[in-house]
Amino acid sequence: MSEASMNMASEVARKPLILGNKTYKDISDDICEPVEAAPGKRWLALLLSAKGLFLFYLIHIAIVVSTGMGLLGVNSPIAWGTMIITFVFWIGIGHAGTLISAILFLFRQKWRTSVARSAEAMTVFAVMTAGIFPLIHTGRPWLDFWLLPYPNQRGPLWVNFRSPLLWDVFAVSTYATVSSVFWYVGLVPDFATLRDRAKTKIRRLIYGALSMGWRGSARDWAHYEMVYLILAGLSTPLVLSVHTIVSFDFAVSQLPGWHTTIFPPYFVAGAIFSGFGMVVTLLTLVRIGFPKFKDYITIDHMEVMNKIIMATGLMVGYAYGSEFFIAWYSGNPYEQYAFINRAFGPYAWSYWIMVTCNVIIPQLFWVKKFRRSIPVMFVVSIFVNIGMWFERFVITVTSLHRDFLPSSWGMYEWSWFDTAILSGSFGMFLTIFMLYLKFVPAISIAEVKPVLYVGRQRPGGH
Amino acid sequence: MDSKLQAGHQDSQSKSPAESGPAYWLSLEELEAHPGMAERYENEFMASPLSADDNGFARRDFLKVMGASLALATSACVRRPAATIIPYAKAPKEITPGEANFYTSSWFDGYEGAGLLVKTLEGRPIKLEGNPQHPINLGALSARAHAEVLSLYDPDRLRGPRRNLVNKDRSNSESVSTKFEEADAAILEVLKKGGVALVTGSKPSPSVRAIIGDFSRAFGVRWVEYDALSLESVREGQRLSYGRAVLPRYRFDLAQFVVSIDADFLGTLISPVEFTKQWSKRRTPGADMSRLVCFESTMSLTGMNADDRVRIRPSRQLDVAFALLNRLARKGATMPAGLAESAKAFSAAEGEAGLDPMFLDRVADELWKKRGTSLVLAGGLATATAQQLELQVVVNALNSVLGNDGKTVDHDSAVFQTYSGSAKSLATLIQDVAAGKVKTLIIDDLDLMTLLPKDSGFAEAIKKLENLIYTGNRNDATGRLSNWVLPVGSSLETWGDLELQSGIYSIQQPTIMPMYDTRSLGELLLAWTKAGSASARVKASETWLDYVKATWSQEIQSKTDLGRGKAFNDFWIELLQTGVAMSGGRRERTSSARAFVGRVSVKPAPNRAVMELVLHANSQMMDGRYANVPWLQELPDPVSKVVWDNYLAVSPAWAREQGVKQGDVIEITSGDFKMRAPAWIQPGLHDAVCTMAVGYGRKGLGKVAEDSGFDAYQAAMFNAGQPIFSGRLVELKKTKERYELVSTQIHHVMENRPLSLETTKAAFEKDQGSGIHRHHVFTIWPEHQYTKHKWAMTVDLNSCTGCSACVVACSSENNVQVVGKRYVMEGREMHWIRIDRYYKGDMASPDTVFQPVMCQHCENAPCETVCPVLATVHNDEGLNDMAYNRCVGTRYCANNCPYKVRRFNWFNYVKKRAEPLHMAYNPDVTVRTRGVMEKCTFCVQRIRRATNVAKDEKRPLRDGEIKTACQETCPADAIVFGDLNNKESRVAKLFAEKRAYTLLEELNNQPRVRYLTRVRHAERVDEKHGHGGGHAAGRAEDRQDQTTCAFEGGLV
Repeated sequence: MSEASMNMASEVARKPLILGNKTYKDISDDICEPVEAAPGKRWLALLLSAKGLFLFYLIHIAIVVSTGMGLLGVNSPIAWGTMIITFVFWIGIGHAGTLISAILFLFRQKWRTSVARSAEAMTVFAVMTAGIFPLIHTGRPWLDFWLLPYPNQRGPLWVNFRSPLLWDVFAVSTYATVSSVFWYVGLVPDFATLRDRAKTKIRRLIYGALSMGWRGSARDWAHYEMVYLILAGLSTPLVLSVHTIVSFDFAVSQLPGWHTTIFPPYFVAGAIFSGFGMVVTLLTLVRIGFPKFKDYITIDHMEVMNKIIMATGLMVGYAYGSEFFIAWYSGNPYEQYAFINRAFGPYAWSYWIMVTCNVIIPQLFWVKKFRRSIPVMFVVSIFVNIGMWFERFVITVTSLHRDFLPSSWGMYEWSWFDTAILSGSFGMFLTIFMLYLKFVPAISIAEVKPVLYVGRQRPGGH
Repeated sequence: MDSKLQAGHQDSQSKSPAESGPAYWLSLEELEAHPGMAERYENEFMASPLSADDNGFARRDFLKVMGASLALATSACVRRPAATIIPYAKAPKEITPGEANFYTSSWFDGYEGAGLLVKTLEGRPIKLEGNPQHPINLGALSARAHAEVLSLYDPDRLRGPRRNLVNKDRSNSESVSTKFEEADAAILEVLKKGGVALVTGSKPSPSVRAIIGDFSRAFGVRWVEYDALSLESVREGQRLSYGRAVLPRYRFDLAQFVVSIDADFLGTLISPVEFTKQWSKRRTPGADMSRLVCFESTMSLTGMNADDRVRIRPSRQLDVAFALLNRLARKGATMPAGLAESAKAFSAAEGEAGLDPMFLDRVADELWKKRGTSLVLAGGLATATAQQLELQVVVNALNSVLGNDGKTVDHDSAVFQTYSGSAKSLATLIQDVAAGKVKTLIIDDLDLMTLLPKDSGFAEAIKKLENLIYTGNRNDATGRLSNWVLPVGSSLETWGDLELQSGIYSIQQPTIMPMYDTRSLGELLLAWTKAGSASARVKASETWLDYVKATWSQEIQSKTDLGRGKAFNDFWIELLQTGVAMSGGRRERTSSARAFVGRVSVKPAPNRAVMELVLHANSQMMDGRYANVPWLQELPDPVSKVVWDNYLAVSPAWAREQGVKQGDVIEITSGDFKMRAPAWIQPGLHDAVCTMAVGYGRKGLGKVAEDSGFDAYQAAMFNAGQPIFSGRLVELKKTKERYELVSTQIHHVMENRPLSLETTKAAFEKDQGSGIHRHHVFTIWPEHQYTKHKWAMTVDLNSCTGCSACVVACSSENNVQVVGKRYVMEGREMHWIRIDRYYKGDMASPDTVFQPVMCQHCENAPCETVCPVLATVHNDEGLNDMAYNRCVGTRYCANNCPYKVRRFNWFNYVKKRAEPLHMAYNPDVTVRTRGVMEKCTFCVQRIRRATNVAKDEKRPLRDGEIKTACQETCPADAIVFGDLNNKESRVAKLFAEKRAYTLLEELNNQPRVRYLTRVRHAERVDEKHGHGGGHAAGRAEDRQDQTTCAFEGGLV
């Protein structure tokens, strides 16, 4: 008893990260259950509908690639449209994963362990989804490899290192590589757990191969820890750099509304904002789908993420305001017009959707009750996702549609293919995510176990 | 689990043993507080327990393997399928493959004519250029002239004669193809029966006139000429005023002050290319820059270029003319006796006309001051009201009292031979046809079923005919009713000639063998005449060429001073080389004034609150002959920028009042006449006027013309031989229907941006750089050095009239694709050059500025830096090059181009081009595939050709040797291209002018295109440009019958 009170005294501020008085075995059982049990009907239905959407997506990509970009709403003067908007959208989504798994790891935020795996998975899948767009948005996608600087037989032809699009190629491919490796490395001990628990030979073989001969020896753990740390260190600057460079696609140009120095931090904040929005969306669904996960992904976890959403939402809101101030302060009439046009022009509706979803709605999270309410946070996170898609729409389309010469002003010609490409990309993302839930432990077993006793008594009843 | 690892994970909970002593210890070292331990706990990250040397993994080996695998690259090549080409077995001497041959020729579309140089490659004409030696167009061409090439390759034209199986009502239109021999035999039978009439358009061709004469004599044929866009009133007005019907040549090169009453001489009237040439010469900014005042019921190209434009209703045209005449009479001009009475009536009613008397005073003052060097003119469809003749007579009177007759109005030296049609004669002919006096009617390439208003009775009359023979390239409305349709082919396939102005002869050479089984009118009539009682000339002529030669020898060489003393063959060869024959100085001569004998008895029109409908022609379509040419359909209308359609234009105030929006379908009614057309809100129209262009909605011309626009001819009235196109009183009613009108420009004001700059004459005289706000731009980089050439272009906004001929010339030269109405709507038009048109001031009566925009070839090109694959780069002559086959199509360049001149191939347009239109491609210019960006290249193919020629000839390039396609065709000579490194070049001098500025200078892109500011006479040009109805909206509140205008003194 006295020991218990002593414990209470020393850890009074900490809340348990894992609920339900779990043991190590419970953890392994709980987390492995979805992977080991036969697929449920709900999962199957979700997978099939996501896959249907994915196929629909592939068909439309095939039509666009074989017929021409003209099927989408892009035109002159709006030469970038849905594909670039959705590309930036998905790249932004990816940021939360890396932030949680890398930056929060370095900052020793223990609560990250429950959500890191899924957030990272989301990152990898979002980057995959995003990565499709730059490839298919070009006029001649079969020549996309010309964007890579490789030795060739075309004489002195080389890529243009001054072009932000080329920086993008490097930034996104680096990000995709590092975040996939990071994710995979984190998975190795868990794959080994699955291998060891496997009841069939095939399972054992597959997870055995995936776990790359992990034996859980001290030597394994030592290497593992070091690699994980290094990768976390490598990923951390990427969280900032990728969206910075994506923002250069816009900021380096001359276009009023694009040509601003605030874009890098603004884009990064927006990316984290949207990323956490998506993590919240997905994890609320995971909690519903796998009720046992509620002990691991607790309301406390969700609340922390909602706080981040609110904080980054405020940063984004600040950036919106700052853009207007700078437009006025610069005295540049083109810049001023671009921003007045954003808020009051023909695309004002999209601007106000963006402001409402990104700045106003997240203010609900000032109230603790809302911050901890699953339905509220689910709805808000959906709005955040909508708002962040519209942010990219506003930046891309409303800046382009009225630039310097009024004679060339135009409107985006939204077509069926825009709808198909936008919605289809969710099909791709969700298909992969559903498969991930079935074949990969959605919470890191190896990382959760060490934080099992945070906020509660050690076992053994000392 | 490894205990060390546990420690590593839970470091935040581990307490340093040094502080409190370990309650629990992990190792003996810790328990003993080993000195190394404290240090170990200090470290944030635990070092690996494995020392470096027992690490078996060779990191470098790993990297080596990675590198090697990266270096593995394989590529597969796809060979193109083998194809066979067949060389000329016997190469024609004059043809070098890849080298263009140019042939002189002529073009005439029934209204306007021009001398041509036809560019042919391997025997096929690919582009038309103006013949610089032809005095009328001096190397320039109109948009329609360029279209003749595509008309030649039109996939929808007939490929051989057809016999239509028509029944008594001429309602059955089953059509079978036939042969000319068959047709000839049958038609000769018919001709021999007599009762034959021939209807043609104006035929200013000496040979055709001659053969028609021979043909008429042989078969007793009655010949009637008819122009769908008649100018009979001008000719007739001349006859009434001076006793002789003549179509005068207006001399804008001599006119210092021009007053136009609905005469669109820069767009459609008589010979707009020639007039634009002359007019632009007089517009050089300086003390004697000419001045133009327009009183207009339509918004025409001419009105948009006017120093002052007054919107009127067509029923007030006479009021304007009389008001000026009355004022001149007060200043001391002799009022012609025949007009005195009417003039008095108009003077009394002046107050009701809604014209601003002070403005008219000032116009009259100026006219009086510039006696002999001024010009008043009226004409065109918009003046074809019930009082069209009276208007002409009063305008003639004005020119007579001003002493302009014989000076700025040439009635003698080189008057127009075009527009010789007579609606009166046609009316009589139709009566005779209806009365059964005509058995056989031959119609030459005029779709009279469309071109004639319903009240002409033509449709009923032709049912009386035994035979209707139609020589046209299509089975159109008239063709379908005809027994025979005999295609005449293109003028590029046959011999011919033209006498566009008296004494100015030009030759029309064929440049390709007839592509199909076609015969020109001359060939047809020659063949038929031979079978009748033919003249010696006909008998001696085996071919149509023989006949043309005979005409030139007998009619031209022997009866004029041309080719005097030369053997005919020498004269002929010389003619073929120059393309034109005329005696020098003929066009420069002025003649004496004629005695004015006109009499007019007319009363001013009452003030009616009824809408007046004005039909007019526009410069790209005219009567619709070329409606099946996609270039012209996709050419933005110079005024509204609408493509592929015509529309009912209404004023903004009227539309606001009636709640009418752009594209609302309006029902037009007048008595029992009814038609529907979509509304287009056109600034500058009078609030009681609606206008509509003819030439659209033509059926049976082909796929391109089929769905474009609405047939406005039905709204005209034939009125027994005095066609009325203007002033018809109509009622407009908004319907619930909507129709999509597509314009390439959806924003029409400059938003206070300094884009198309202008200044006033007074300000310009003080400071030539006035109107330009210069920006201080600097760079920290050294400038690029251009050691060879440094290409540049200037565009003089003061000369440019916005006629848009350059757009079509560029399309022809650079294989620019046409995309169709739907895709223009989606913003996918491909034009490499566009004419931006902005309105300024109040929407009731705006000023207009034009600005041609093509690739600016910036020295610091924003497109170049952002292309990831270096597909667009700067070359060492300062051109912004586009490597199509390197382009991947990221379109970033288009986003970053502030001038928005880059065009993307959204689809595979090449594939969609119907054959044989592909024959018109210029092989010197790459045909762009899907997915690549394209834009103006400054006609780099012409630059290369000219520099190579200069190099071969071991001489420096001469200034002016390279002309871009737009520059070459520009009737206003607004575009100058050249080498800035040549300090003596025109472009270098213009670049240095104070009037030159670059577009969006503050971006420091350093464009290689400079614009020269426009200079206007009016004082009211604001330093700041108005926004829409912005600063001036208040003063133009719906004043019915009231026009706002401005003149020297500012706003009135």
